[in-house]
Order: sequence, then C-alpha cells, then structure tokens
Amino acid sequence: MNTALLIKKVGIPRAISYYNNYPFYYGFFKSLGIEVVLSDRTTTKIINEGCKYVVSDTCLPVKVFAGHVLNLLDKGCDVIFVPSIQSTGYKINNCSKIRGLPEIIRNVINREFTMIEPTLDKTENIDFKSFCNQIANAFQITDQAGIKKAMVDGWKVYNDFCEMTQSGVPYQEALKNSIEGKLIKKTVDIVKPLSVVIMAHGYNLFDERISMNIIKKLEKMDVKVYTSLNVSREASISSIHSLGEIQYWANELELTGTAAYYLLNNKVDGIIALSAFGCGPDSLMVDEMAYHCKEKGMPLIHLTIDEHTGEAGFVTRLEAFVDMLMRKKISILNKNSGKIKKQTADILKIKTDKILTSSVK
Amino acid sequence: MDSELEQIKMENKIPAKERIIAWPRMGRIDIPLKALLIALGAKFVIPPANSNEALEIGVRNSIEGICLPYKLNLANYIMALDKGANTLMMFQAPGSCRLGNYTKMAQKTLRAMGYEFDMVVFDMYKSKMKQTLQAFWHVTHCINPWRYYKGFSIGFSKFFAIDTAERLLFYTRPRELHKGDAEECYNKWLKIADETNSLWKAKKLKKQVIEDFKKIPIDKDKKVPIVYLIGEFFVLLDPYTNQNIEKELGEMGVEVQRQIMFGDWLEHVLKPSIFYRKESHRERSVRYAEKYMKRAIGGECIETIGDTVYAAKHGIDGIIHISPFSCMPEIVAQNILPKVSREEDIPILSLVLDEQTGKAGYITRIEAFIDLIKRKRMKKN
Repeated sequence: MNTALLIKKVGIPRAISYYNNYPFYYGFFKSLGIEVVLSDRTTTKIINEGCKYVVSDTCLPVKVFAGHVLNLLDKGCDVIFVPSIQSTGYKINNCSKIRGLPEIIRNVINREFTMIEPTLDKTENIDFKSFCNQIANAFQITDQAGIKKAMVDGWKVYNDFCEMTQSGVPYQEALKNSIEGKLIKKTVDIVKPLSVVIMAHGYNLFDERISMNIIKKLEKMDVKVYTSLNVSREASISSIHSLGEIQYWANELELTGTAAYYLLNNKVDGIIALSAFGCGPDSLMVDEMAYHCKEKGMPLIHLTIDEHTGEAGFVTRLEAFVDMLMRKKISILNKNSGKIKKQTADILKIKTDKILTSSVK
Repeated sequence: MDSELEQIKMENKIPAKERIIAWPRMGRIDIPLKALLIALGAKFVIPPANSNEALEIGVRNSIEGICLPYKLNLANYIMALDKGANTLMMFQAPGSCRLGNYTKMAQKTLRAMGYEFDMVVFDMYKSKMKQTLQAFWHVTHCINPWRYYKGFSIGFSKFFAIDTAERLLFYTRPRELHKGDAEECYNKWLKIADETNSLWKAKKLKKQVIEDFKKIPIDKDKKVPIVYLIGEFFVLLDPYTNQNIEKELGEMGVEVQRQIMFGDWLEHVLKPSIFYRKESHRERSVRYAEKYMKRAIGGECIETIGDTVYAAKHGIDGIIHISPFSCMPEIVAQNILPKVSREEDIPILSLVLDEQTGKAGYITRIEAFIDLIKRKRMKKN
C-alpha cells in the first residue's frame, strides 16, 4: 500500500471545482477524519509556475490548477485531490479539459505524488455515491456507515453555504461561515442605482487574481452585482427551459442559467460575461445568451481574460459599460419622468454624477 | 420531455416529397451518401467541396471562438441552401465536445439569415442504427426495406472501397516509379465509385481497386519512413482543412498511415455489437493508452494517445498530430503527448490548424520533422 495515504492528509488545489464544491469536500473529509490542506491563493507566481508545465493552448483555469498542484507539492503535501467530473446528468457533460483534469496533471507534472482521482459520470451510471466511495476507498476506508455519515455532513456544510449565498451573503463570507458551522443571514439589502449579473464560471469569477476583483470593482462603481450563487439550481434550470434551450454543458447553470434567470425577471440592467480565452463551452454559451439578449434589448459585454490580461484595459471597458448602462437608464427615466416621484429622480441624479465623475480607484 | 426533444431534432415542416436534402462535406463522405439517397429515391444537393471561398463564408457568419469544422459545416449549409436545398441533415454525438452544439447554433444562425429549412439531426449515441434509420425514414418516407438494405449496402461497399483506395494510395505514393500514377489511379476509382449504382458492382469495387493498384510499378525495396497521422476526426478526413498533408508527405517520400478511416468508424458505430466481432479501433486505443489515460474524456483524445503508444510498439518512425485551434479534447492530448514521446521514444510533431494557417510555415515544419525522423532511422541502422 502507498505509504503517503497512511498519513490522513489531502491537498485540495484552490482552483476549478474548489470554488463550487469546497464546502462539501471540507465536510466530507473532516467527517472521515482526513485533514485538508489548501494551496495558497492564486498569485502571478502560481500562474507562471503552472504555465511552465502545460502547453500554451490550454486555457487559463487549467494552467492555474497546475500551478496550485505545484504549490501543494512545494508545501510538502503529496496526496492531491483531482476529481474528474465527467457528467452531472444523463448526456450533460463537462468540458473535456475538466473531464481530463487527472490525465493532464498525471502526465505534465513529473514529480512523485499520489493522486486521488474519483470519477463522477452519470451518463455511464457512476453516481455521486460511488464518487464518494472512490474517495474513501483511496484512503482505505471501507466502512459504509462512516462514508454515508460523511456524505450527510458534507451536504450539510454545502447546503448551509448555498442557503447563505442565495440570501445574498458574499462568497468569501459564506464560505468562511459555512466551514465554521455558522449560518448567518443578510438582513439589509442596499439599493443601488444599477445592477448587473456576471455570467462566469465560479473558478474564474471568485478567484480574485483571475477575475481581477471584478465584483469589488463594480461595487465601488455603485453597481449591485448578482452572481450564479444567488440563483438556486432549480430556478436556473427552469430559466434555461423557458428560453427554449436545453442544458448541454454540466456547468451551464453558472452561465446561461444565471443570465437567463435575470434576463427573464428583468432584475438587472446589463449582463457581463467573463470567460477565459479559448474556453470552448463559453464561446457557445455566451453566443447563445447574446442572441437572446439582442431579442430582449439587454446590453451584454463579453470580457475575455488570459494570463497576460492587463488590468488597465479591463477596467476601462468595465467603466465604459457601466457608463453606458447609466445613460440608458437615465434616458428611460426621462421618458417616463411623469410617472415617478421627483425625489427618486433626484437621488438617481446625484448618484449618476458620482459614478460618471469618480474613478474606480 | 423526450418527444419534445425529438421534435427539436427532427423538424417536420416540409412534406417528404418536396424535400431536397443536403449534408455537410467531410472528405469523401458525399459519394456513399449519394448512393444511399438515390436508393431511397430522395432528391439531394451536394454542396461544393471545401475551399477558401467556403471558409470565408463560414468565418463571416460564425462567432470567433468556435472551432474550424463548424465554420466549414456552416458554409456547406449556406452553399447548399443557395443551391436549392431545404432539408439539412447532420449526425451528432452528444457529450463528446462542441460537436453536439453545432446544429443548434447553425439552425439559429441560418434562421437569422432568413433561410427557410428543416433540420434533421440524429444521435450517434446508443441505439444508433435505430436513430439513423428513423432519420432517413423521416426525410424520405420510404417504407421499402429492400431499398434501405440496398442503399446501406452500396454505401458501405463504397466506403470500404474508398478507404482501401486511400490506404493503397498512401502506400504507393512514396514508392511509385513514375510520379503521379497513384494519384491518377485514386482519382479514377473515386469517379468510378461515384458512378456505380448497382449493388452487385459496388460489392466488387474493393477487389478491383486492389487489383488496379497492384498494376502500378513501384520500387518494392525502397526504405521508406512510416509516419502515423493522428488527431481530430474532421481535420484528418478533410483534405482541404489539413492542407492535403498526406499528399505533401507522400511526395516527400514518406508513407502515411492513418488509423481513423470513416468507413471503419461507421461500421463500428452502426453495426450491432453481436455482428461486430473484431476489436474496434477505440477498444484497441483504450487498451494501449491505459498507462497514460484511465478514462475517455470525449472527442478523439484517447484514440490519439492509444495510437501513439501502438505506433511506438510497432516500429513506426514518427507521429504527426493535427488538430483545429482550440479543440478541447486535442488540447488534453497535446498535454499528454510529450510524456508519451519521452517514455515510448517516438518523435511527435503537433500541428494546430486554423483559418489563418500559412502553408509555407506548415511545410517547413513538416520537412524539418521528416529530416529528424530520417536521421534517427539512420542512427538506428
């Protein structure tokens, strides 16, 4: 037996599936008595390290993943958790690069390490229970009751996390609280003159280095930001169906589902699509959304990021988009100015002046 | 839900008698399909072969991030619709890669351009023969089973004949004494295969092709380096997209062996498993790729890796791996290939193709690679 597995310790890279599933992984591993080691937050150094190992055509998130694996190895943790999430429903498959993540990592990183590589493939009848069993069996844990309990514990943390994010708690705060076992509720909802929804994969959006802190930047511009975490799974699935589309990609709910939900209930003024350069599924999903946005007259901007993206150009485009949304909103308000109270219009005017004149920094 | 999905896939606005069917082009797929549609008594349009003009139309009407095969498929549809087609057909394999989304996107783009048509799509995923028959029944409303049998038999015979001709062409081209003989012979048989319409004659095609190629004078003792051509399905089979790499290699005096052949693939996919006894290409690939890949991840990734290992174990001199730009499964393969190359000791050249690929730079790289192979071979002897 592999001696590395006797030390009950597992390293989870802070990339790809970490951003959506970490609460579950944490609860699950903790209940099994396995210590979880996380890699550091993404830095330019981690990205550069990752770039050295994978071929240049690979997309940014996979390069970042490789960087995080190296970071964990440098930390002395040589059991690494690399799940292969093939499909999350019958014929609902993931992107090839995420499906083949263990294959990439195994073949590009030429160091000694053990990989925990469970497969989730509902098309081929490998369900979630078997996914969890594969993880536990890798650590020589075969006690079915224990695994079942661990799954329940994992779901509990995950459900707490989802409940908090859906009530409007920001990502980092919700993650921290769910791991500590607390359940907080956001009570005050600040009304802002503009609101946008960002359609992006969790691993792009919540990684502050990759997304260049887009959420905070927008909030500084007085824009309310909605993300995929604010929408429940059921709501996004039904939104996709009401647009007349079929879910094709496993992570489509984060993009099309979220955008469709806000597009249909008219809660936002604009949609920001954030995707990594060369992302196959995104190119199609953003196009699909652009088609529906055009029909409904919703503004959409598509921002592409890669390891070389400069922050200045990124901010300029964001500002221009927000300015445009503001102008559009004012012109609509002016048209219907008879219908609204003067006071509301004044408040909006003051806020607009502030946004249009102030810089982000 | 299921019937709803079927309706999206197989539109039914045009009566069967008025249908004029068109297919996207891929290599020589038009010849066998034509035979099938003639047997079923359907009218059809064959879009012109892929060319710079087609690519330009495709690029103009599709989004930036989509892969090259889609752009050409879309151009084929547009050209066919301009020629009078009103029913577009396509197969798809859901869950492999972006291929499953092609028809959905093409449908939207073409509708937005103002075309009126029916799209008929069938899955190449479990119960394939049933779905295929259903799709062809849907477009032709032909109920005579003899016609189906005749159509499929002629189609398959032609596929095998073309595949055989292609294999022999790859073998003969670097060895021929009089340059251009093999090419001429190949083109002649393509034409004959295209014109054959009787079942009896079609079944004899393969034998005749082999006999005819034997007549070409060749230098049997010539030592020729052998290169495997692997990669993405569409670019391998479409001579326009891969800039006719097989011909270039053949003229450099290299024998090309391609493992992916459309006829073989289709036979494996469509034949019920009880009649298909031999080990399929995919099964072989999974077996050989085991050391590097533990699971299939969609597309032709596992075939690429499996073939490379197979080649290394069977004394092949080198591998040329071609894929369209931003092809997801082939990027995974590209990541794995360096390690395979190192451990199995086989040279690999990865080429990425897109609409801007310049032929000169492409040829230079291939020439350099061939020189490397030849030198390595010399060292060995």
